[in-house]
Amino acid sequence: MAATSSYMASTKFSMLGWIGGKEELRKRRGFSVSAQQQAEIQESQEVKVQEQEQEQEKVKPQKKTQPRPVEPQVNVKSKNMGRDYGGQWLSSVTRHVRIYAAYIDPVTCAFDQTQTDKLTLILDPTNEFVWTTETCNMVYSYFQELVDHYEGAPLTEYTLRLIGSDIEHYIRKLLYDGEIKYNMNSRVLNFSMGKPRIIFNNDDQLQDVQ
Amino acid sequence: MQGRLSAWLVKHGLVHRSLGFDYQGIETLQIKPEDWYSIAVILYVYGYNYLRSQCAYDVAPGGLLASVYHLTRIECGVDQPEEVCIKVFAPRGNPRIPSVFWVWKSADFQERESYDMLGISYDNHPRLKRILMPESWIGWPLRKDYIAPNFYEIQDAH
Repeated sequence: MAATSSYMASTKFSMLGWIGGKEELRKRRGFSVSAQQQAEIQESQEVKVQEQEQEQEKVKPQKKTQPRPVEPQVNVKSKNMGRDYGGQWLSSVTRHVRIYAAYIDPVTCAFDQTQTDKLTLILDPTNEFVWTTETCNMVYSYFQELVDHYEGAPLTEYTLRLIGSDIEHYIRKLLYDGEIKYNMNSRVLNFSMGKPRIIFNNDDQLQDVQ
Repeated sequence: MQGRLSAWLVKHGLVHRSLGFDYQGIETLQIKPEDWYSIAVILYVYGYNYLRSQCAYDVAPGGLLASVYHLTRIECGVDQPEEVCIKVFAPRGNPRIPSVFWVWKSADFQERESYDMLGISYDNHPRLKRILMPESWIGWPLRKDYIAPNFYEIQDAH
């Protein structure tokens, strides 16, 4: 196979954390994950990650893989990678999941193309579903789990696509389990994951119309 | 049953195997991969100046991969041009077939597509890389043992 990717996301992926947006509504947007490339940095980073994990475990112990958030990074201004060249980002973009191999600033939403050791997940940018912090966290922890699972795989579009597709399937599962529901106020209402089920309440008899 | 070209090749001592005629009566020959480039040059010199199509297919699960070439001899004032179909079979484990790009330039994209879909690597092809699938794609989609990845697609949109 003629894969030309020179990056190997071979070492530890650690979670860079998602960042709250400008407003409360956009609280779930960015979510970054990093793959450290140098061993020395990795070690120090791992310590940090462990600390973060411990902190998190104190806060809310769960069985699932904990998302490991990171502190905001300093953004380097991108060159020659403007919005017009969006397709050149190493990314996997589907309707509800956008994964970029870049760091995205939570406040300014600026991309940093130099930090290709981080993966950023943008969840449901079109607001098709109603998200709560819990369901967001479920998706994020699943993302972390997948990133840990694909540790060592080459950082290519194909791998990102595998991760993104798995997350999409997971979102679909959440929807079918009733954890999330369609946002009826979204701009495009085409029920891309299946028509909503309507549960009729058969216990109540209709009153006779006199 | 031996066709004209087969008889001509036998006369010049070129190794091949006749596979009979297809439904249009076009002679079909099988040629070994290692002989294919030299025979292609000989056929070009003989007069087959037009590569009408090149394609590839997977013969059987776990079997050989085939690369097929349809050659035509274009001449002035001929309404029934001579045609021949060449099949070259390569083992699935290491499918290597010499490229005919340097004989018929039109083989360029077609061999790239065959490489993309079936993973036949054409030796001496100038830029053999994927043409339809993304470059980071894994696997050869038209092989019979290919398993499509479980990529998410919008299926239920209304």
